[in-house]
Amino acid sequence: MLSLDVQLQRGNFNLEANFSLDKPVTGLFGSSGSGKSTLLNLIAGLAHPDNGWLKLGNKHLFHSAKNINLSPNQREVGVVFQDSQLFPHLSVNKNLLYGYKRITKKQRRFDENEIINLLEIGHLLKKRPIQLSGGEKQRVGLGRALLASPRFLLLDEPLASLDQGLKGQILPFLKRVKDELGLPMIYISHSIEEILHLTDQLVVINQGRILGTGHFYDVIKAERVKNVANSMGLENIITATIISHDIASGHTIAEVKGKTLLLPLTNRFSIGDSCYLSIRSSEIAIAKHYISQISIQNQIKGKIISWIKNASCVSLLIKIGSTALTVDITPKAFSDLALNENEDIYCLIKAQSFSFLGKTE
Amino acid sequence: MFDLSPEEYSTMMLSLKVSLWSVGIILIPGIFTGWLLARYDFIGKSLLDGILHLPLVLPPVVTGYLLLLALGRQGFVGKWLYQQFEISLAFSWRGAVLATALMSFPLMVRSIRLSISNIDIKLEQVSRSLGASALNSFFTVTLPLAIPGIITGSILAFARSLGEFGATITFVGNIEDETRTLPLAIYTYIQVPDGAESAQRLLIISIILALGALLFSGFVEQRTANWLGGK
Repeated sequence: MLSLDVQLQRGNFNLEANFSLDKPVTGLFGSSGSGKSTLLNLIAGLAHPDNGWLKLGNKHLFHSAKNINLSPNQREVGVVFQDSQLFPHLSVNKNLLYGYKRITKKQRRFDENEIINLLEIGHLLKKRPIQLSGGEKQRVGLGRALLASPRFLLLDEPLASLDQGLKGQILPFLKRVKDELGLPMIYISHSIEEILHLTDQLVVINQGRILGTGHFYDVIKAERVKNVANSMGLENIITATIISHDIASGHTIAEVKGKTLLLPLTNRFSIGDSCYLSIRSSEIAIAKHYISQISIQNQIKGKIISWIKNASCVSLLIKIGSTALTVDITPKAFSDLALNENEDIYCLIKAQSFSFLGKTE
Repeated sequence: MFDLSPEEYSTMMLSLKVSLWSVGIILIPGIFTGWLLARYDFIGKSLLDGILHLPLVLPPVVTGYLLLLALGRQGFVGKWLYQQFEISLAFSWRGAVLATALMSFPLMVRSIRLSISNIDIKLEQVSRSLGASALNSFFTVTLPLAIPGIITGSILAFARSLGEFGATITFVGNIEDETRTLPLAIYTYIQVPDGAESAQRLLIISIILALGALLFSGFVEQRTANWLGGK
Protein backbone atom coordinates (compact mmCIF):
# COMPACT_ATOMS: atom_id res chain seq x y z
CA MET A 1 0.00 0.00 0.00
CA LEU A 2 2.50 2.59 1.19
CA SER A 3 6.14 1.73 0.83
CA LEU A 4 9.19 3.87 1.11
CA ASP A 5 12.94 3.94 1.28
CA VAL A 6 14.20 7.42 2.06
CA GLN A 7 17.22 9.23 3.42
CA LEU A 8 17.38 12.77 4.68
CA GLN A 9 20.05 14.83 6.40
CA ARG A 10 19.16 18.10 8.13
CA GLY A 11 21.96 19.52 10.23
CA ASN A 12 22.78 16.88 12.80
CA PHE A 13 19.59 14.96 12.24
CA ASN A 14 19.78 12.00 9.94
CA LEU A 15 16.74 10.01 8.88
CA GLU A 16 16.88 6.66 7.15
CA ALA A 17 13.64 4.83 6.77
CA ASN A 18 12.67 1.79 4.79
CA PHE A 19 9.41 -0.02 5.28
CA SER A 20 6.28 -1.14 3.58
CA LEU A 21 2.80 -1.04 5.07
CA ASP A 22 0.04 -3.39 4.05
CA LYS A 23 -2.39 -3.19 6.98
CA PRO A 24 -5.19 -0.61 6.91
CA VAL A 25 -3.96 1.24 10.00
CA THR A 26 -0.40 1.49 11.24
CA GLY A 27 0.77 3.25 14.35
CA LEU A 28 4.00 5.20 14.04
CA PHE A 29 5.43 5.23 17.50
CA GLY A 30 8.37 7.22 18.85
CA SER A 31 9.35 9.86 21.35
CA SER A 32 9.50 13.52 20.39
CA GLY A 33 12.45 14.30 18.15
CA SER A 34 12.55 10.72 16.88
CA GLY A 35 11.73 11.75 13.32
CA LYS A 36 8.01 10.92 13.31
CA SER A 37 6.90 14.30 12.03
CA THR A 38 9.75 14.52 9.53
CA LEU A 39 8.62 11.20 8.10
CA LEU A 40 5.07 12.50 7.90
CA ASN A 41 6.25 15.60 6.05
CA LEU A 42 8.14 13.42 3.58
CA ILE A 43 5.07 11.31 2.86
CA ALA A 44 2.80 14.33 2.53
CA GLY A 45 5.29 16.13 0.29
CA LEU A 46 5.84 18.98 2.75
CA ALA A 47 9.54 18.13 2.84
CA HIS A 48 11.69 16.19 0.42
CA PRO A 49 14.14 13.38 1.04
CA ASP A 50 17.70 13.75 -0.20
CA ASN A 51 17.50 10.31 -1.70
CA GLY A 52 15.18 7.40 -2.18
CA TRP A 53 11.60 6.76 -3.20
CA LEU A 54 8.06 6.78 -1.86
CA LYS A 55 5.22 4.82 -3.34
CA LEU A 56 1.48 4.82 -2.69
CA GLY A 57 -0.06 1.78 -4.31
CA ASN A 58 1.60 1.60 -7.71
CA LYS A 59 2.14 5.34 -7.96
CA HIS A 60 5.46 6.91 -7.11
CA LEU A 61 5.06 10.04 -5.01
CA PHE A 62 8.77 10.62 -4.99
CA HIS A 63 11.68 9.00 -6.75
CA SER A 64 15.03 10.75 -6.66
CA ALA A 65 16.59 8.69 -9.45
CA LYS A 66 13.57 9.02 -11.75
CA ASN A 67 13.19 12.69 -10.90
CA ILE A 68 9.64 12.24 -9.64
CA ASN A 69 8.45 14.60 -6.93
CA LEU A 70 4.71 15.17 -6.73
CA SER A 71 3.69 18.35 -4.97
CA PRO A 72 1.50 17.98 -1.87
CA ASN A 73 -1.67 18.82 -3.79
CA GLN A 74 -1.03 16.00 -6.27
CA ARG A 75 -0.35 13.27 -3.72
CA GLU A 76 -3.86 12.50 -2.49
CA VAL A 77 -2.47 12.20 1.02
CA GLY A 78 -4.53 13.82 3.76
CA VAL A 79 -2.97 15.25 6.89
CA VAL A 80 -4.50 15.97 10.27
CA PHE A 81 -2.15 17.85 12.59
CA GLN A 82 -2.15 18.00 16.35
CA ASP A 83 -3.82 21.40 16.59
CA SER A 84 -6.32 20.69 13.81
CA GLN A 85 -5.14 23.81 11.94
CA LEU A 86 -8.58 24.98 10.88
CA PHE A 87 -8.49 28.11 8.75
CA PRO A 88 -9.48 30.82 11.23
CA HIS A 89 -10.92 33.13 8.58
CA LEU A 90 -13.37 30.55 7.24
CA SER A 91 -16.53 29.10 8.76
CA VAL A 92 -16.60 25.45 9.75
CA ASN A 93 -18.57 24.66 6.61
CA LYS A 94 -16.05 26.41 4.36
CA ASN A 95 -13.23 24.67 6.16
CA LEU A 96 -14.88 21.32 5.52
CA LEU A 97 -15.36 22.07 1.84
CA TYR A 98 -11.89 23.54 1.23
CA GLY A 99 -10.50 20.33 -0.25
CA TYR A 100 -13.88 19.00 -1.41
CA LYS A 101 -14.46 21.80 -3.90
CA ARG A 102 -10.95 21.50 -5.26
CA ILE A 103 -11.56 18.07 -6.74
CA THR A 104 -13.90 16.97 -9.51
CA LYS A 105 -17.18 15.19 -8.76
CA LYS A 106 -15.68 11.99 -10.07
CA GLN A 107 -12.80 12.14 -7.61
CA ARG A 108 -15.11 12.61 -4.62
CA ARG A 109 -15.22 9.41 -2.64
CA PHE A 110 -17.22 10.59 0.34
CA ASP A 111 -20.44 12.47 0.51
CA GLU A 112 -20.49 15.69 2.50
CA ASN A 113 -23.46 14.62 4.61
CA GLU A 114 -22.01 11.18 5.18
CA ILE A 115 -18.89 12.69 6.77
CA ILE A 116 -20.84 15.31 8.71
CA ASN A 117 -23.04 12.59 10.19
CA LEU A 118 -20.16 10.24 10.83
CA LEU A 119 -18.30 12.87 12.84
CA GLU A 120 -21.44 14.46 14.32
CA ILE A 121 -20.50 18.01 13.36
CA GLY A 122 -23.75 19.10 11.66
CA HIS A 123 -24.57 21.61 14.40
CA LEU A 124 -21.19 23.35 14.02
CA LEU A 125 -21.31 24.23 10.33
CA LYS A 126 -22.08 27.93 10.73
CA LYS A 127 -19.61 28.52 13.54
CA ARG A 128 -16.14 29.95 13.35
CA PRO A 129 -13.18 27.75 14.34
CA ILE A 130 -12.46 29.93 17.38
CA GLN A 131 -15.88 29.09 18.78
CA LEU A 132 -15.20 25.35 18.81
CA SER A 133 -13.83 23.23 21.62
CA GLY A 134 -10.62 21.27 21.10
CA GLY A 135 -12.46 18.05 20.39
CA GLU A 136 -14.84 19.70 17.94
CA LYS A 137 -11.95 21.33 16.10
CA GLN A 138 -10.24 18.00 15.75
CA ARG A 139 -13.38 16.38 14.33
CA VAL A 140 -13.80 19.20 11.81
CA GLY A 141 -10.12 18.91 10.88
CA LEU A 142 -10.60 15.20 10.32
CA GLY A 143 -13.75 15.79 8.27
CA ARG A 144 -11.99 18.38 6.15
CA ALA A 145 -9.16 15.96 5.38
CA LEU A 146 -11.62 13.16 4.53
CA LEU A 147 -13.72 15.32 2.21
CA ALA A 148 -10.65 16.00 0.07
CA SER A 149 -10.91 12.27 -0.76
CA PRO A 150 -7.36 11.24 0.06
CA ARG A 151 -6.15 7.77 -0.76
CA PHE A 152 -4.11 7.75 2.43
CA LEU A 153 -4.48 9.60 5.70
CA LEU A 154 -1.75 10.81 8.05
CA LEU A 155 -2.78 11.60 11.60
CA ASP A 156 -0.05 13.49 13.44
CA GLU A 157 -0.75 13.16 17.17
CA PRO A 158 -4.33 14.25 16.63
CA LEU A 159 -5.17 13.83 20.31
CA ALA A 160 -2.00 15.22 21.87
CA SER A 161 -3.44 18.63 22.67
CA LEU A 162 -6.67 17.27 24.13
CA ASP A 163 -7.14 16.37 27.77
CA GLN A 164 -7.69 12.79 28.82
CA GLY A 165 -11.49 12.93 28.86
CA LEU A 166 -11.69 14.40 25.38
CA LYS A 167 -9.29 11.83 23.98
CA GLY A 168 -11.76 9.15 24.97
CA GLN A 169 -14.45 11.03 23.06
CA ILE A 170 -12.46 11.40 19.85
CA LEU A 171 -11.01 7.91 19.64
CA PRO A 172 -14.37 6.31 18.73
CA PHE A 173 -14.63 8.71 15.78
CA LEU A 174 -11.21 7.66 14.55
CA LYS A 175 -12.27 4.08 14.92
CA ARG A 176 -15.39 4.82 12.87
CA VAL A 177 -13.29 6.37 10.13
CA LYS A 178 -11.17 3.27 10.11
CA ASP A 179 -14.03 0.75 10.24
CA GLU A 180 -16.65 2.47 8.08
CA LEU A 181 -14.59 4.27 5.45
CA GLY A 182 -11.80 1.74 5.08
CA LEU A 183 -9.27 4.47 4.47
CA PRO A 184 -5.68 3.37 5.07
CA MET A 185 -3.84 5.55 7.52
CA ILE A 186 -0.79 6.14 9.65
CA TYR A 187 -1.48 7.19 13.18
CA ILE A 188 1.48 9.01 14.68
CA SER A 189 1.71 9.07 18.44
CA HIS A 190 3.99 8.80 21.42
CA SER A 191 1.19 7.03 23.29
CA ILE A 192 0.99 3.31 22.74
CA GLU A 193 -2.48 3.26 24.32
CA GLU A 194 -3.88 5.57 21.66
CA ILE A 195 -2.31 3.51 18.91
CA LEU A 196 -3.68 0.27 20.32
CA HIS A 197 -7.17 1.75 20.26
CA LEU A 198 -6.95 1.70 16.49
CA THR A 199 -4.47 -0.94 15.54
CA ASP A 200 -1.84 -3.33 16.78
CA GLN A 201 0.33 -2.78 13.73
CA LEU A 202 3.31 -0.72 14.69
CA VAL A 203 6.33 1.05 13.26
CA VAL A 204 8.80 2.16 15.91
CA ILE A 205 11.10 5.03 15.09
CA ASN A 206 13.94 6.39 17.20
CA GLN A 207 16.63 8.92 16.32
CA GLY A 208 15.77 8.77 12.66
CA ARG A 209 15.94 5.01 12.43
CA ILE A 210 13.14 2.47 12.05
CA LEU A 211 13.66 -0.01 14.88
CA GLY A 212 10.87 -2.38 14.03
CA THR A 213 7.69 -2.92 12.06
CA GLY A 214 4.95 -5.45 12.51
CA HIS A 215 2.61 -6.66 15.21
CA PHE A 216 2.79 -4.63 18.42
CA TYR A 217 3.61 -7.60 20.64
CA ASP A 218 6.47 -8.81 18.48
CA VAL A 219 7.86 -5.35 17.81
CA ILE A 220 7.85 -4.15 21.40
CA LYS A 221 9.62 -7.29 22.62
CA ALA A 222 12.36 -7.08 20.02
CA GLU A 223 15.85 -6.44 21.36
CA ARG A 224 16.34 -3.27 19.26
CA VAL A 225 13.17 -1.70 20.59
CA LYS A 226 13.91 -2.49 24.23
CA ASN A 227 15.43 0.87 25.15
CA VAL A 228 12.59 2.81 23.59
CA ALA A 229 10.01 0.53 25.20
CA ASN A 230 11.67 0.85 28.59
CA SER A 231 11.79 4.62 28.40
CA MET A 232 8.04 4.61 27.78
CA GLY A 233 7.38 2.30 30.75
CA LEU A 234 6.70 -0.71 28.60
CA GLU A 235 9.23 -3.07 30.18
CA ASN A 236 6.62 -5.75 30.78
CA ILE A 237 3.67 -6.35 28.52
CA ILE A 238 1.33 -9.26 29.00
CA THR A 239 -1.84 -10.38 27.30
CA ALA A 240 -4.75 -11.13 29.60
CA THR A 241 -8.35 -12.19 29.17
CA ILE A 242 -11.00 -10.36 31.18
CA ILE A 243 -12.99 -12.77 33.33
CA SER A 244 -15.18 -10.49 35.41
CA HIS A 245 -15.70 -7.01 36.80
CA ASP A 246 -16.10 -7.29 40.56
CA ILE A 247 -17.59 -3.96 41.56
CA ALA A 248 -17.86 -4.93 45.25
CA SER A 249 -14.14 -5.56 45.59
CA GLY A 250 -13.17 -2.83 43.12
CA HIS A 251 -11.32 -5.12 40.75
CA THR A 252 -11.43 -6.27 37.22
CA ILE A 253 -10.32 -9.87 37.24
CA ALA A 254 -8.32 -11.29 34.37
CA GLU A 255 -6.65 -14.52 33.52
CA VAL A 256 -3.18 -15.01 32.11
CA LYS A 257 -2.37 -18.55 31.07
CA GLY A 258 -4.27 -20.15 33.93
CA LYS A 259 -3.21 -17.59 36.54
CA THR A 260 -5.67 -15.07 37.92
CA LEU A 261 -4.78 -11.36 38.16
CA LEU A 262 -6.59 -8.67 40.09
CA LEU A 263 -6.55 -5.42 38.13
CA PRO A 264 -7.96 -1.95 38.73
CA LEU A 265 -11.66 -1.80 37.93
CA THR A 266 -12.24 -0.68 34.34
CA ASN A 267 -15.16 -0.36 32.00
CA ARG A 268 -13.04 -0.16 28.86
CA PHE A 269 -13.18 -3.89 28.27
CA SER A 270 -15.97 -6.43 28.33
CA ILE A 271 -15.84 -9.92 29.74
CA GLY A 272 -14.07 -12.22 27.33
CA ASP A 273 -11.98 -9.40 25.81
CA SER A 274 -8.31 -10.02 25.42
CA CYS A 275 -6.16 -7.02 26.25
CA TYR A 276 -2.59 -5.85 26.71
CA LEU A 277 -1.42 -4.91 30.18
CA SER A 278 1.79 -3.20 31.13
CA ILE A 279 3.66 -3.16 34.43
CA ARG A 280 6.82 -1.12 35.02
CA SER A 281 9.63 -3.34 36.20
CA SER A 282 10.23 -1.03 39.17
CA GLU A 283 6.64 -1.54 40.31
CA ILE A 284 7.16 -5.23 41.08
CA ALA A 285 8.44 -6.43 44.44
CA ILE A 286 10.05 -9.79 45.21
CA ALA A 287 9.40 -12.12 48.17
CA LYS A 288 10.89 -15.48 48.92
CA HIS A 289 7.66 -16.81 50.40
CA TYR A 290 3.97 -16.24 49.94
CA ILE A 291 2.95 -13.42 52.29
CA SER A 292 -0.45 -13.51 53.90
CA GLN A 293 -2.10 -10.40 55.32
CA ILE A 294 -0.74 -7.89 52.83
CA SER A 295 -2.58 -5.27 50.79
CA ILE A 296 -0.83 -6.26 47.57
CA GLN A 297 -3.36 -8.28 45.63
CA ASN A 298 -1.22 -10.23 43.21
CA GLN A 299 1.43 -12.70 44.31
CA ILE A 300 2.65 -14.70 41.38
CA LYS A 301 5.07 -17.54 41.70
CA GLY A 302 8.02 -17.58 39.31
CA LYS A 303 11.58 -18.67 38.84
CA ILE A 304 14.68 -16.46 38.60
CA ILE A 305 16.37 -17.01 35.26
CA SER A 306 19.13 -14.42 35.25
CA TRP A 307 20.01 -10.88 36.28
CA ILE A 308 21.92 -7.83 35.14
CA LYS A 309 23.59 -5.63 37.74
CA ASN A 310 23.65 -1.86 37.26
CA ALA A 311 24.82 0.84 39.66
CA SER A 312 21.35 1.73 40.86
CA CYS A 313 19.40 -1.45 40.27
CA VAL A 314 19.52 -5.13 39.58
CA SER A 315 17.27 -6.25 36.73
CA LEU A 316 15.97 -9.74 37.31
CA LEU A 317 14.48 -11.85 34.58
CA ILE A 318 11.76 -14.00 36.09
CA LYS A 319 10.01 -16.81 34.30
CA ILE A 320 6.34 -17.32 35.01
CA GLY A 321 4.90 -20.21 33.05
CA SER A 322 5.78 -19.48 29.45
CA THR A 323 6.17 -15.70 29.87
CA ALA A 324 8.89 -13.68 31.52
CA LEU A 325 8.86 -10.49 33.56
CA THR A 326 11.65 -7.98 34.14
CA VAL A 327 11.84 -6.86 37.75
CA ASP A 328 14.09 -4.05 39.00
CA ILE A 329 15.19 -4.13 42.63
CA THR A 330 17.92 -2.20 44.42
CA PRO A 331 21.36 -3.78 44.88
CA LYS A 332 20.74 -3.79 48.64
CA ALA A 333 17.47 -5.71 48.27
CA PHE A 334 19.28 -8.10 45.97
CA SER A 335 22.02 -8.88 48.51
CA ASP A 336 19.63 -8.94 51.49
CA LEU A 337 17.52 -11.59 49.81
CA ALA A 338 20.58 -13.54 48.64
CA LEU A 339 18.82 -14.60 45.45
CA ASN A 340 20.04 -17.51 43.37
CA GLU A 341 19.44 -18.67 39.84
CA ASN A 342 16.52 -21.06 39.42
CA GLU A 343 15.21 -20.07 42.81
CA ASP A 344 11.42 -19.97 43.22
CA ILE A 345 10.18 -16.55 44.30
CA TYR A 346 6.93 -14.55 44.39
CA CYS A 347 6.37 -11.41 42.34
CA LEU A 348 4.25 -8.95 44.30
CA ILE A 349 2.24 -6.59 42.11
CA LYS A 350 -0.35 -4.10 43.33
CA ALA A 351 -3.54 -4.12 41.28
CA GLN A 352 -3.09 -0.40 40.60
CA SER A 353 0.36 -1.01 39.09
CA PHE A 354 -1.19 -2.55 36.00
CA SER A 355 -2.02 -0.25 33.11
CA PHE A 356 -4.41 -1.26 30.39
CA LEU A 357 -2.84 -0.57 27.02
CA GLY A 358 -5.55 -1.75 24.69
CA LYS A 359 -7.47 -4.57 23.19
CA THR A 360 -5.72 -7.25 21.18
CA GLU A 361 -7.05 -7.82 17.69
CA MET B 1 -10.15 80.38 10.52
CA PHE B 2 -11.26 77.26 8.67
CA ASP B 3 -11.87 78.85 5.34
CA LEU B 4 -8.95 77.34 3.50
CA SER B 5 -7.47 79.52 0.80
CA PRO B 6 -7.34 77.92 -2.68
CA GLU B 7 -3.59 77.45 -2.24
CA GLU B 8 -4.02 75.72 1.11
CA TYR B 9 -6.77 73.52 -0.26
CA SER B 10 -4.71 72.45 -3.27
CA THR B 11 -1.77 71.74 -0.94
CA MET B 12 -3.94 69.39 1.08
CA MET B 13 -5.23 67.65 -2.04
CA LEU B 14 -1.71 67.34 -3.45
CA SER B 15 -0.54 65.79 -0.19
CA LEU B 16 -3.37 63.27 -0.26
CA LYS B 17 -2.69 62.49 -3.91
CA VAL B 18 1.02 61.92 -3.34
CA SER B 19 0.43 59.81 -0.21
CA LEU B 20 -2.27 57.63 -1.77
CA TRP B 21 -0.20 57.07 -4.90
CA SER B 22 2.78 56.25 -2.75
CA VAL B 23 0.87 53.62 -0.75
CA GLY B 24 -0.67 52.34 -3.97
CA ILE B 25 2.60 51.66 -5.73
CA ILE B 26 4.29 49.97 -2.75
CA LEU B 27 1.35 47.80 -1.69
CA ILE B 28 1.95 44.81 -3.95
CA PRO B 29 5.78 44.96 -3.82
CA GLY B 30 5.41 45.33 -0.04
CA ILE B 31 3.27 42.18 0.26
CA PHE B 32 5.65 40.26 -1.97
CA THR B 33 8.77 41.41 -0.12
CA GLY B 34 7.18 40.84 3.30
CA TRP B 35 6.19 37.34 2.28
CA LEU B 36 9.63 36.61 0.82
CA LEU B 37 11.40 37.74 3.98
CA ALA B 38 8.93 35.95 6.27
CA ARG B 39 8.88 32.61 4.49
CA TYR B 40 12.17 32.05 2.74
CA ASP B 41 15.82 31.88 3.60
CA PHE B 42 18.11 32.75 0.75
CA ILE B 43 21.61 34.01 0.14
CA GLY B 44 21.76 37.76 0.55
CA LYS B 45 18.61 37.94 2.69
CA SER B 46 20.27 40.06 5.38
CA LEU B 47 21.69 42.35 2.75
CA LEU B 48 18.30 42.81 1.09
CA ASP B 49 16.74 43.40 4.47
CA GLY B 50 19.42 45.99 5.27
CA ILE B 51 19.05 47.85 2.00
CA LEU B 52 15.26 47.96 2.41
CA HIS B 53 15.66 49.48 5.83
CA LEU B 54 18.22 52.09 4.77
CA PRO B 55 15.65 54.87 4.18
CA LEU B 56 14.49 54.36 7.76
CA VAL B 57 17.94 55.02 9.23
CA LEU B 58 19.58 57.34 6.70
CA PRO B 59 18.96 61.09 7.01
CA PRO B 60 16.05 61.67 4.58
CA VAL B 61 18.12 64.33 2.84
CA VAL B 62 20.65 61.64 1.93
CA THR B 63 17.93 59.47 0.41
CA GLY B 64 16.63 62.47 -1.51
CA TYR B 65 20.10 63.35 -2.73
CA LEU B 66 20.73 59.76 -3.83
CA LEU B 67 17.47 59.88 -5.78
CA LEU B 68 18.53 63.13 -7.36
CA LEU B 69 21.89 61.66 -8.35
CA ALA B 70 20.26 58.63 -9.89
CA LEU B 71 17.03 59.98 -11.29
CA GLY B 72 17.65 63.68 -11.81
CA ARG B 73 17.81 64.76 -15.39
CA GLN B 74 21.60 64.48 -15.29
CA GLY B 75 21.48 61.26 -13.24
CA PHE B 76 22.53 57.98 -14.82
CA VAL B 77 19.02 56.53 -14.82
CA GLY B 78 17.18 59.82 -15.12
CA LYS B 79 19.08 60.82 -18.24
CA TRP B 80 18.23 57.57 -19.95
CA LEU B 81 14.57 57.75 -18.89
CA TYR B 82 14.32 61.24 -20.30
CA GLN B 83 16.06 60.42 -23.56
CA GLN B 84 14.09 57.24 -24.17
CA PHE B 85 10.63 58.10 -22.85
CA GLU B 86 10.77 61.81 -22.08
CA ILE B 87 9.93 60.96 -18.48
CA SER B 88 11.34 63.24 -15.86
CA LEU B 89 10.79 62.56 -12.20
CA ALA B 90 12.84 65.38 -10.70
CA PHE B 91 10.76 68.44 -9.76
CA SER B 92 7.47 66.70 -10.56
CA TRP B 93 4.78 65.27 -8.28
CA ARG B 94 5.63 61.80 -9.61
CA GLY B 95 9.09 62.24 -8.16
CA ALA B 96 7.48 63.19 -4.86
CA VAL B 97 5.50 59.95 -4.99
CA LEU B 98 8.69 58.00 -5.60
CA ALA B 99 10.52 59.70 -2.74
CA THR B 100 7.70 59.16 -0.24
CA ALA B 101 7.18 55.59 -1.47
CA LEU B 102 10.82 54.78 -0.87
CA MET B 103 10.71 56.34 2.58
CA SER B 104 7.58 54.46 3.64
CA PHE B 105 8.36 51.10 2.01
CA PRO B 106 10.28 49.68 5.01
CA LEU B 107 7.34 50.41 7.32
CA MET B 108 4.99 48.61 4.97
CA VAL B 109 7.30 45.61 4.61
CA ARG B 110 7.98 45.32 8.35
CA SER B 111 4.34 45.20 9.21
CA ILE B 112 3.42 42.67 6.50
CA ARG B 113 6.44 40.52 7.21
CA LEU B 114 5.55 40.33 10.88
CA SER B 115 1.98 39.39 10.20
CA ILE B 116 2.96 36.65 7.72
CA SER B 117 5.57 35.27 10.15
CA ASN B 118 2.78 34.94 12.69
CA ILE B 119 0.69 32.73 10.41
CA ASP B 120 1.28 29.10 11.32
CA ILE B 121 3.01 27.55 8.33
CA LYS B 122 1.03 24.38 8.99
CA LEU B 123 -2.10 26.20 7.81
CA GLU B 124 -0.44 26.60 4.42
CA GLN B 125 0.77 23.01 4.50
CA VAL B 126 -2.73 21.75 5.27
CA SER B 127 -4.15 23.74 2.39
CA ARG B 128 -1.55 22.20 0.08
CA SER B 129 -2.43 18.71 1.24
CA LEU B 130 -6.11 19.55 0.65
CA GLY B 131 -5.35 20.13 -3.00
CA ALA B 132 -4.45 23.81 -3.25
CA SER B 133 -1.52 24.79 -5.43
CA ALA B 134 1.15 27.00 -3.88
CA LEU B 135 -0.36 30.08 -5.50
CA ASN B 136 -3.90 29.12 -4.55
CA SER B 137 -2.80 28.49 -1.00
CA PHE B 138 -1.22 31.94 -0.87
CA PHE B 139 -4.37 33.67 -2.04
CA THR B 140 -6.85 31.66 0.03
CA VAL B 141 -4.91 31.24 3.27
CA THR B 142 -1.82 33.44 3.61
CA LEU B 143 -3.18 36.64 2.12
CA PRO B 144 -6.52 36.75 3.97
CA LEU B 145 -4.75 36.05 7.26
CA ALA B 146 -2.20 38.76 6.57
CA ILE B 147 -4.86 41.42 5.98
CA PRO B 148 -4.55 43.04 9.42
CA GLY B 149 -0.82 43.44 8.83
CA ILE B 150 -1.38 44.75 5.33
CA ILE B 151 -3.82 47.36 6.62
CA THR B 152 -1.53 48.44 9.44
CA GLY B 153 1.37 48.63 7.03
CA SER B 154 -0.63 50.71 4.59
CA ILE B 155 -1.74 53.17 7.26
CA LEU B 156 1.79 53.52 8.59
CA ALA B 157 3.06 54.07 5.07
CA PHE B 158 0.31 56.59 4.39
CA ALA B 159 1.12 58.55 7.54
CA ARG B 160 4.82 58.44 6.77
CA SER B 161 4.11 59.72 3.25
CA LEU B 162 2.02 62.61 4.57
CA GLY B 163 4.87 63.67 6.81
CA GLU B 164 7.75 63.13 4.40
CA PHE B 165 9.88 66.25 4.14
CA GLY B 166 13.61 65.79 3.68
CA ALA B 167 13.76 63.38 0.76
CA THR B 168 10.96 65.18 -1.05
CA ILE B 169 12.40 68.67 -0.82
CA THR B 170 15.85 67.42 -1.80
CA PHE B 171 14.71 65.36 -4.76
CA VAL B 172 11.80 67.32 -6.22
CA GLY B 173 12.12 70.72 -4.60
CA ASN B 174 9.37 72.90 -3.19
CA ILE B 175 7.18 73.83 -6.16
CA GLU B 176 3.69 75.09 -5.51
CA ASP B 177 0.92 72.85 -6.87
CA GLU B 178 3.51 70.31 -7.99
CA THR B 179 5.64 69.12 -5.10
CA ARG B 180 4.71 71.39 -2.19
CA THR B 181 3.05 68.88 0.15
CA LEU B 182 1.73 69.77 3.62
CA PRO B 183 5.02 69.72 5.53
CA LEU B 184 6.76 71.66 2.78
CA ALA B 185 3.95 74.23 2.71
CA ILE B 186 3.99 74.65 6.49
CA TYR B 187 7.73 75.14 6.37
CA THR B 188 7.33 77.72 3.59
CA TYR B 189 4.59 79.67 5.39
CA ILE B 190 6.71 79.82 8.54
CA GLN B 191 9.51 81.38 6.53
CA VAL B 192 7.44 84.27 5.18
CA PRO B 193 5.94 87.26 7.07
CA ASP B 194 2.19 86.84 7.85
CA GLY B 195 2.31 83.17 6.92
CA ALA B 196 1.60 82.09 10.50
CA GLU B 197 -2.15 81.80 10.09
CA SER B 198 -1.86 79.63 6.99
CA ALA B 199 0.81 77.51 8.67
CA GLN B 200 -1.45 76.94 11.65
CA ARG B 201 -4.42 75.96 9.50
CA LEU B 202 -2.28 73.44 7.65
CA LEU B 203 -0.92 72.25 10.98
CA ILE B 204 -4.47 71.48 12.12
CA ILE B 205 -5.20 69.76 8.80
CA SER B 206 -2.11 67.62 9.32
CA ILE B 207 -3.22 66.62 12.79
CA ILE B 208 -6.71 65.77 11.56
CA LEU B 209 -5.39 63.66 8.67
CA ALA B 210 -2.91 61.78 10.83
CA LEU B 211 -5.38 61.20 13.64
CA GLY B 212 -8.02 60.16 11.12
CA ALA B 213 -5.65 57.60 9.61
CA LEU B 214 -4.83 56.19 13.04
CA LEU B 215 -8.48 55.96 14.07
CA PHE B 216 -9.39 54.38 10.76
CA SER B 217 -6.60 51.82 11.14
CA GLY B 218 -7.73 51.02 14.68
CA PHE B 219 -11.29 50.56 13.48
CA VAL B 220 -10.31 48.32 10.58
CA GLU B 221 -7.98 46.29 12.78
CA GLN B 222 -10.76 45.72 15.26
CA ARG B 223 -13.10 44.69 12.48
CA THR B 224 -10.65 42.22 10.98
CA ALA B 225 -9.76 40.86 14.41
CA ASN B 226 -13.45 40.23 15.00
CA TRP B 227 -13.76 38.69 11.59
CA LEU B 228 -10.83 36.33 12.20
CA GLY B 229 -11.92 35.77 15.77
CA GLY B 230 -15.44 34.90 14.73
CA LYS B 231 -17.41 37.43 16.76
